[in-house]
Amino acid sequence: MNLNQTVNQAGSDRATEAVPRTGGATSVVPGEAVLTVSDLRVTFTGGGRTVHAVTGLSYQLQKGRTLAIIGESGSGKSVSARALMGLLPPSAQVSGSARIGDDELIGLPDREMRKLRGTDVAMVFQDPARSLNPTMKIGLQIIEAVRAHQKMERQQAVERGIELLRLVRLPAPERRFHEYPHQLSGGMRQRVMIAIALAADPQVLIADEATSALDVTTQAQIMELLLDLQERLGMAVVLISHDIGLAASYADDVLVMYAGRAVEFGPTEMLFGNVQMPYTQALLGSVPQLTTPPHTLLPVIPGQPPDLRALPQGCPFRPRCASATEQCANTPELTEHQPGHWWACWHPIGDSDGGTK
Amino acid sequence: MAAVDSAAEFEVLTTEAPAKSSRWAKWRRRLPILLPAGAVAIVVLACFVAPLVFPIPTPTGGDVLTSRLPVGSPDHPLGTDLNGNDILSRLLYGGRASLIVAVAVNLLGLFLGGTLGALSGYLSGKFDTVIMRLLDVLIAFPALVLTLAVAQALGPSQRNTILALSFFAIPAFARIARAATLRLNELPFMAAAQLSGTSGWRMLFRHIAPNIGPQLLSFMLLGMGIIIVTEGALSFLGLGIPRPAPSWGNMIFEASQTMSATPIQVVWPSMALLVTVLAFNLLGENLRSRWSSR
Amino acid sequence: MATATSSLNGHNAGQAATSRLAGVTRSPMVRLIVKRLLMAIPIMLGVSLLTFIVMTIIPGSGATALLGADATPEQIAALEAEMGLDQPAHVRYLAWLQDLATGDLGSSVVSGQTVTSILASRLPVTFELVGLAFLLSVLAAIPVAVLAARWPGGFMDRLSMVVSVTGLAVANYVLALLLVVVFAVVLGVLPAIGYIPLSESITGNLRTMILPVISIAFPLFCFYTRFLRSDLVEQMQSQDYVDTARAKGIGPWQVLIKHAFRNSSFGLITLVGLNLGTLIGATVIIEQIFGLPGLGQQLLQSISAQDAVVVQAAVLIFAFVAVMANLIVDLLYLILDPRIRYGSR
Repeated sequence: MNLNQTVNQAGSDRATEAVPRTGGATSVVPGEAVLTVSDLRVTFTGGGRTVHAVTGLSYQLQKGRTLAIIGESGSGKSVSARALMGLLPPSAQVSGSARIGDDELIGLPDREMRKLRGTDVAMVFQDPARSLNPTMKIGLQIIEAVRAHQKMERQQAVERGIELLRLVRLPAPERRFHEYPHQLSGGMRQRVMIAIALAADPQVLIADEATSALDVTTQAQIMELLLDLQERLGMAVVLISHDIGLAASYADDVLVMYAGRAVEFGPTEMLFGNVQMPYTQALLGSVPQLTTPPHTLLPVIPGQPPDLRALPQGCPFRPRCASATEQCANTPELTEHQPGHWWACWHPIGDSDGGTK
Repeated sequence: MAAVDSAAEFEVLTTEAPAKSSRWAKWRRRLPILLPAGAVAIVVLACFVAPLVFPIPTPTGGDVLTSRLPVGSPDHPLGTDLNGNDILSRLLYGGRASLIVAVAVNLLGLFLGGTLGALSGYLSGKFDTVIMRLLDVLIAFPALVLTLAVAQALGPSQRNTILALSFFAIPAFARIARAATLRLNELPFMAAAQLSGTSGWRMLFRHIAPNIGPQLLSFMLLGMGIIIVTEGALSFLGLGIPRPAPSWGNMIFEASQTMSATPIQVVWPSMALLVTVLAFNLLGENLRSRWSSR
Repeated sequence: MATATSSLNGHNAGQAATSRLAGVTRSPMVRLIVKRLLMAIPIMLGVSLLTFIVMTIIPGSGATALLGADATPEQIAALEAEMGLDQPAHVRYLAWLQDLATGDLGSSVVSGQTVTSILASRLPVTFELVGLAFLLSVLAAIPVAVLAARWPGGFMDRLSMVVSVTGLAVANYVLALLLVVVFAVVLGVLPAIGYIPLSESITGNLRTMILPVISIAFPLFCFYTRFLRSDLVEQMQSQDYVDTARAKGIGPWQVLIKHAFRNSSFGLITLVGLNLGTLIGATVIIEQIFGLPGLGQQLLQSISAQDAVVVQAAVLIFAFVAVMANLIVDLLYLILDPRIRYGSR
């Protein structure tokens, strides 16, 4: 049974109506999926061309677990996240389903989607220097997030704001509250971003390359913070990154994307311990190791990332894959070949004759 | 930065021009430039060529007997003015005068001001500071006031108008050229050229000019509109092109004197001004966005 | 005992105050402000010099104008000596500066009136004209631009852009005349020329001012609308903080006004300040057309009467206002932009 079918089965058991909510986490049985993405497709049209950014993406995220979505630039990982938030430009067409609790996120008009942003799902963006309004004090930006979904007295909101800053371990929160973004360091700004994201108690937190703009030490600090918060608040976290090391260190599950498709999925140890998809293996291989002797040529994946305006027939990785054959002209489906470990490939590593058909 | 926001990437991708486009699409793309360019061409042709081709009476030396003829009179499609001069003819010859002034001033500004500004930006140091201070003073001076004073001092004539307006145009071009050159200086290829021993003049011509040129040219097109309007103002006040020689500005003035009787006469030179300035503005702006997006 | 303590406290308070003052003057912001103010001085000197030079270039002097066409050269020379116009230029310039420093702007060669009294009667008119035009253009541009930016490509956007582009091509004097044709000649509801001071009648004043104000304000309105709209749209479409704001779940109006506009206002302020100089120049021709007894009209009259004293003073005032406007804009920038105000890490 492939992932799509499993998900659809589970989905049809639930109520199909999206019920608008105003905030707070509903009671979800731990272990049950809090976010269910099903056949998500995003295309951009303009100038007579269609770009297939995301094709048939499906996954599930359990409460309290961290999913890392990794891939190159252009793999569609950021686009899929923004689709969940409804933050894509008007030229985007989104279809499929993404459900948090009883709320369907796809296809909602902006008015309805607004109620869910921050309460169901929240996002932390990549570059905190640019993601915070330089002309507004930190405090004001946090209060805005706090009061976006709840009527609150200003003083109350200020207290809640400072509380949030404390939660993200920002030193001297009362002072920082009245400062401007440029007065803070990168790491501190990212903490503020996280505080903003948490303001309305989201069930799912998406970190879109949240640490890519930070130096390595700060990166580690922020990641630790995120995981700590996750444990305390019981959120589900989606980590979007191009950094495999990050995924390996901090995620419970990993989803590898290529050319808008999910190509491998599974619990972290299972996936990295037993890599199947040639692309994933190539990704792992291209990470420079300390143990590599000096002056060794860095292994790179030959070829170019695919042009999403003109995707080739069949497996998108085919032009660059060392194990490609005629068979690869048929697009492989993401299938659970081993319990918990899904991949979409005719010639995975490990199996000499390919996976189950 | 490694990972760019993919949605923004795609936005850029999808707004790129398609590789295979229909001929219609190609024309549509050229329209914002072709239309205003065409309008400018029509105006220029009308003012400079039409009087040679068509039997248009002279703009001056009219007869009191034939004065104040209405629109649609035989021989005088737009009627005649107070002094018996054919309005259409004055419109065309007036356009000629205004355009000549505008072109002259802008060319002076472009070459003198542009060179000055580029040199200033390139050489920096004391030369630059002195020029900058000078420009600051000139620009602080309200332009119209300065040109008024100069025009009054020199006496109204086409040549003096050009001179007076250059006072105004040269600092403006110098400023733009200087700013553009300063930005250019930051690019590595400039340092490379200097290190390889390129002489000052060569730098100016082969490296600086081609790079700041497009910017200056589109500024010049916008400047055409500005100068035409300012010359019109000067002529309106009697300090520009002296009567009886026509200029759109003094035509407007004359028409304003008889506004209660023949309000339509204000419309002709006003429309001419509007259309011409609009055409130059659009052309300048569209060219600028076309060139800067390269 | 009590008095000793209180005087000690007083002493301490005094010390605290002085150190606070020292702290303020050491503040980088204040230093920046002072620096900018100081820079304006050489510019003003340069302007005064330029004005003087221009006036000396003008052939003929007030004397020739006063005495008329058939004055003999001796008569002219005599009058000039009397007026002190036969002194070498640099002497005259320094004398003029000296007078300026003491507040003596001289007297009109033509009418004998002191320049100060001329200014006193003329400035308020021009001030009202410029002030109203500035207010009108900005207050009208902001809502239009915000509406246009709310729905880019929509009806309001396209309409406002068409109007703005066309409006920018219209010369203010052309607009003035067309307005007069429509409202004074054809409709007859507003006066074509004339001025009624505020002190006499508010409605009368407004009736005489409205057409001139619109003539100046409309092209500016077009300019500001275009700029603000494109800046707002650019902020909304490509700035990351807009994404963050949206991700909080706040509505598009709030994002536009509370976030994007805040950032765009800087650009707008700079533009307005820069335009103040052009605004001044426009008053010359507009006052002439509408017969408003302001400084611009005075300048024109004095130029043709070769009344150097008045011209110098008027030009100086115009330039002064322009320089001040630029200065204020720079200072506003310094004060409002938090990045500059609080310094960065």
